[in-house]
Amino acid sequence: MASHDHSANPPEPPLPSFLARTLFSTDHKVIGLNYLWLALFSVFLGLAMSLLMRIHIVWPGIRLPFLTGVGFSLERYAALTTFHGSLMVFLVLTAAPQAGFGNYFLPLHIGAREMAFPKLNWLAFWSTAASLLGLTAAFLAAPKTGVTLWIVSVALFCAASLLNGLNFSVTTIDLRAKGMTLPRLPLTVWAWFINGILSTLIFSILLAASVCLLSDRLASTHFFPVFSFLSSQPANLAANTLPVLWQRLFWFFSQAEVYIAMLPCFGLVTHLISTFSRKPVWMERLVVLALCAVGLSGFCVWGQHMFASGMNPFSPLVFSLLASSLGLPAAILLISWLGTLWNARVQLNTSMLFAIGFVSLFMAGGLSGIFLARRDLASAAVSDDFITGHFHLVMGVAATFAILGALFFWFPKLFGRRLNESLGKLHFWLTFAGVYLVFMPMHWLGLLTHANLYSGSRLAAIAALVAPVRTFITVAAILMVFAQGIFLFNFLWSLFRGEKVDEPNPWRATTLEWSVSSPPPADDFGATDPVVYRGAYEFSVPGLADDFVPQHLAPDRVVKSR
Amino acid sequence: MPGTTAIPEIEIVIEDMGGGGGGGEPPAGGDDGGGGDDDRRRRKKSPSPKRYSTAITLGLVSILMFFMALASAFIVLRRSSELWVAFHLPPILWLNTVILLASSFTLEAARRKLSDSNAAGFRKLWLLTTALGLLFVAGQLVAWRQLVAQGVFIASNQASSFFYIFTGAHAIHLLGGVGALLYVSIRKLDTTRISLSTAAEITSYYWHFMDGLWVFLLALLYLGK
Repeated sequence: MASHDHSANPPEPPLPSFLARTLFSTDHKVIGLNYLWLALFSVFLGLAMSLLMRIHIVWPGIRLPFLTGVGFSLERYAALTTFHGSLMVFLVLTAAPQAGFGNYFLPLHIGAREMAFPKLNWLAFWSTAASLLGLTAAFLAAPKTGVTLWIVSVALFCAASLLNGLNFSVTTIDLRAKGMTLPRLPLTVWAWFINGILSTLIFSILLAASVCLLSDRLASTHFFPVFSFLSSQPANLAANTLPVLWQRLFWFFSQAEVYIAMLPCFGLVTHLISTFSRKPVWMERLVVLALCAVGLSGFCVWGQHMFASGMNPFSPLVFSLLASSLGLPAAILLISWLGTLWNARVQLNTSMLFAIGFVSLFMAGGLSGIFLARRDLASAAVSDDFITGHFHLVMGVAATFAILGALFFWFPKLFGRRLNESLGKLHFWLTFAGVYLVFMPMHWLGLLTHANLYSGSRLAAIAALVAPVRTFITVAAILMVFAQGIFLFNFLWSLFRGEKVDEPNPWRATTLEWSVSSPPPADDFGATDPVVYRGAYEFSVPGLADDFVPQHLAPDRVVKSR
Repeated sequence: MPGTTAIPEIEIVIEDMGGGGGGGEPPAGGDDGGGGDDDRRRRKKSPSPKRYSTAITLGLVSILMFFMALASAFIVLRRSSELWVAFHLPPILWLNTVILLASSFTLEAARRKLSDSNAAGFRKLWLLTTALGLLFVAGQLVAWRQLVAQGVFIASNQASSFFYIFTGAHAIHLLGGVGALLYVSIRKLDTTRISLSTAAEITSYYWHFMDGLWVFLLALLYLGK
């Protein structure tokens, strides 16, 4: 008790040690930042892996770590692909927008001072960090133990996400500030909340699947008879079982992540577009419904597939269902974004550029998704170039754009400094051009090989067409990865030398986190609890002096224009 | 660091449970406490006690999904598999079921004693519930031993694998419930009566759920063999 009374004194108690403030802290802001650091590390590691793969595809002669030389096999290439995919899907796309930004800003958004269960939150973070270690070790270990270790790590990640989902849902339901009714919630919170509920459902199913898989590997049970599956495959695939095993396991676990990763990004992008258009979200209620529909239909479609196949990781995949189930809600979101942008005085800063880039990628990905709704195309092969391109464009890169947009937006709040705008814009345009140059030809490549495979034309003729395209993709990928160096430099430089932000609300945004200092104080809102008086998107209200009304501003303090 | 802060925080939460227990209002109404010094006040009231019942509800849904996923695998594989060899369930399972069902009744009886402010009676029945829970787990272990004696192992065939996975996963979840029962009974009784009732209520949700889940799993295993 005595120790508590010490820390309760209003003048700051002596700062705890560095470790206590970072690694052992249960503060939601510290944990959120830790997730972001983890994601930053993983994204660059994952990018390096993708470069290795691209170079290997085009110039197999070059000696590369992991891929050539002694002990190289097809299995190593499959393991590398899985490692790249797991890093990106689990530790970047799932961890950053939900656990990273969500942990930091959900309590600040809703006027809570912490998450509902800070210790569970801490546990979830460290399980996630342990799963990163496990995934890395799985890649480096011998194939058989590697697969087991990979499943253990993914199970750990699922358990952590389960705890996270629980924490997010309960925090949103029970810890909102006075006046923060459901219709007044920012759309980011809606997205995190729906995603939290979705996570508690989806990840427990995946956890059950990993229990069965592990029991198969460790207790030699036969829940998912791999070998009966493999013998039913074409001879050229069955010849090398481990690559197929890696591939199937990865897709099995990452199918569900499509929804888990995209939902918070929808929320982030809607929030950014409204703020920088200085306009309320167009059809806000409908957007909330669309977000709910993404969660609901995602769960129904995916869950139906899971239950119908008895969670078998080796049952046929259903990309077509995934693609088509997002149709209507995605259309509503798209219309809302465009409606918000319509006739707006858009502030084209880097954050907004990334948000608009997201919309563009989402449209491009949505168009190519129509092809996937055709069953014969979708069932072709999961490693098909078309699917790789589609998946990367709509999920990987689009989600990364949302994360980057959010980072540019919240960087002043996180660190009290701004990211450099010129470098940011340069980085944006290079990346934007880069992703189209890399992934659009990939679509074309997939269609080309697919069409020719069925019409049975000469292989040599296709090879002559395909090889230069492959080289082009690889060169573009190398250039794009190097463009990310600009971002890394900008990030690290701005962290220490960036332009200082003195005002709490540099973007003139409405939500609660902008009412506190940057970075926010340890207890988030100081002595008085925040009270919310209005919705989250009151921009350009006619008859008022300012073009925005913060949620916490009492009605009698709103300044009318003369 | 978390080790040292853990105890005060829990105790504050317990005090808090008493205060906020009556309000059925949405969480927005949570901050009615006026005075007090800043930091202490915030820590006392900010975590609404409702979060525990919300969390247990969501947690139970999540656990249900876990077992439903296993059940779906059970049903799908039973239909399609050639590796399925039915075996007789050990009869002791019926006894275990009766024990577990009885524990739900003693748990409710204990909670009734608590609302009659009969602390001694509550304690006795609560510990009886805990003992019955442990007895159930022991009975499940006996069932495992009997199957092993018959030569039915986890890897024998898919039917037996499912039996071990279902009973094992259920037992682990139930042991979590036993932990919660012990936690509630070990805590000091005197000043924290109302909070105790909240804790007992939340534990009871979990316990009855585990009870119902076992009946469902048993029916699945029995009908599906």
